[in-house]
Amino acid sequence: MHNQTTLNVFWIMVKRDLLIQWRNWAEFIFRVVMLPFILILTYGYVLPKIGVLPASFPNDLFPGMVGMSLLITGIHGTAVPLSMDFNNSREIEDRLQAPVPVMVTAWAKMFVGMIESWIGALLVLPISLIFMGQSLRLHLTTGNIFLLFLILLLSSFASAALGLLVGTIVKPNQIAAMFPGFLMPVIFTGAIFFSWSALVKLPFYQVLVLVNPLVYINEALRHTMLGASNAMPLTYSLLGILAFTILMGVMGMRRFRKMAVR
Amino acid sequence: MTKPLLEVQNLRKVFKKADGSQHVAVDDISFHLETGEIFSFLGPNGAGKSTTINMITTQLTPTSGTIKIAGRDIRTDPINARRKIGIVAQHNNLDRGLTAFENLVYHGRYFGMTTQAAEQRANELLADFGLSEWRQDYVKSFSGGMAQRLKIARAIMHRPQLLFLDEPTTGLDPAYREILWDHVLRLNRQQQTTVFLTTHYMEEPERFSDHVAIYQQGKIRALGTIPELRQLVPAASIVYATVDAVTAPLLQELNQQPFIKEILQKDEKNLAIFPNTNDQILQQVLPIFEKQPVKLENIRLSFASLDDIFVHVTEHPTEMEVKTHA
Repeated sequence: MHNQTTLNVFWIMVKRDLLIQWRNWAEFIFRVVMLPFILILTYGYVLPKIGVLPASFPNDLFPGMVGMSLLITGIHGTAVPLSMDFNNSREIEDRLQAPVPVMVTAWAKMFVGMIESWIGALLVLPISLIFMGQSLRLHLTTGNIFLLFLILLLSSFASAALGLLVGTIVKPNQIAAMFPGFLMPVIFTGAIFFSWSALVKLPFYQVLVLVNPLVYINEALRHTMLGASNAMPLTYSLLGILAFTILMGVMGMRRFRKMAVR
Repeated sequence: MTKPLLEVQNLRKVFKKADGSQHVAVDDISFHLETGEIFSFLGPNGAGKSTTINMITTQLTPTSGTIKIAGRDIRTDPINARRKIGIVAQHNNLDRGLTAFENLVYHGRYFGMTTQAAEQRANELLADFGLSEWRQDYVKSFSGGMAQRLKIARAIMHRPQLLFLDEPTTGLDPAYREILWDHVLRLNRQQQTTVFLTTHYMEEPERFSDHVAIYQQGKIRALGTIPELRQLVPAASIVYATVDAVTAPLLQELNQQPFIKEILQKDEKNLAIFPNTNDQILQQVLPIFEKQPVKLENIRLSFASLDDIFVHVTEHPTEMEVKTHA
């Protein structure tokens, strides 16, 4: 009975967040689409067309775009509302007063962040088809469709966990600094524009980028979508995503509890 | 004998400041509330009232002490505590992206109400608080007074046993203040809802409270019924005088009068005089002012109000004997 009540409240909180997001759908689409759009337009269409990048580059870029959009949308979708809720509007107080464990609110926030990250990843598809459709050579089989689903699920969980941690650390007045100070380094060191194995010529950088969860997500997607032999071994990339999810999740949950019951 | 609804024992909260020093916000306070009583918690700004409420409502962890709601420790069973309480916070924490109706319905749903029951109650409360017309409006478009009414409606949506009103009437016009109190008193009488009130409007606790605690610098300085607290001030009647400037000779002259028990200089122009007697006191005081080279601007005699008690208690903190509310 108690668990049933907790689950009901969880779904009501999810419904509340989705309703608010739905009401701001135009802003959501704009926010989610703009970054992959401009990157795909530049690196997937313009630069290969004028010969600055090889014609096969869009194919290597595609998994990275999916991974980036998924991670960034999930982080943004969890972190920004959480930071605003705790520090500015304090709207979350009503949910924290619900007669369920306070962590239910955190799980609901993360779940909504996961849904948003999936939408973010899906929105990359039409943009990619429009600008890079002719260059894409995906190797998707029935077997690795299931694997792809698992990677996307795990990655969306990682993005929401990272969003939970960021949202409980960053103050609303620091959100503007989040893009150049946090998201840009994540994007440009995240194995979007290069495969991790290609960094063998820069051993220090190759090790350094391993602190970025996007590297593991993109390498796993590259392995699954392209059957790329030069991608990081799937076991390593999956373990990397899992380790980051657990680490960020535990730290985020601790921070959330501290914010909820000061 | 029934158990109190709320028991607070030796509650203490210490905050660490940025420079590493400690600030004792709540300093070893104890009190209890019986089911159905209205309890006012009064204190100057920054006295620690909201800190106390935050601890009782499970939003803040106490440094030490125990809080029990309906006999159960809130640290071990915070969910039970939250089920029984409703809170009107000082600040606006309504969901601005939702309509007034949705704010109430979602709140009811968090507390286990069915959609149908929540919608029915939401409509009733919106009508009661004069908000039906704005039922489908987003809360972000609400004025301060409207938002305050909606916050109160939301707090009582799930029919809590213990209702915390943290300065609930701030920003409300007198008409809606009356509506709020009508509601609270109806809840209190019909459903035995216990009310824990903080306010700066002294007439509210004076009219409605069963017990009042006067709180200052983290400590309860006085606690009791209003007649009990009235005994803490030096006299039942007080003469308030306003002059152009309070002078030392005037104070000396007043102090020498055998019928004056105590004089409290409120500021450079205002005095509160506590007499020994209630008989013809103005007739005895007026000639003293006339003899002095000061201009008497106003003088009045009144019974010691809660305002007077509050001022007296907070200005004489060390002299106060804390009464226990038993």
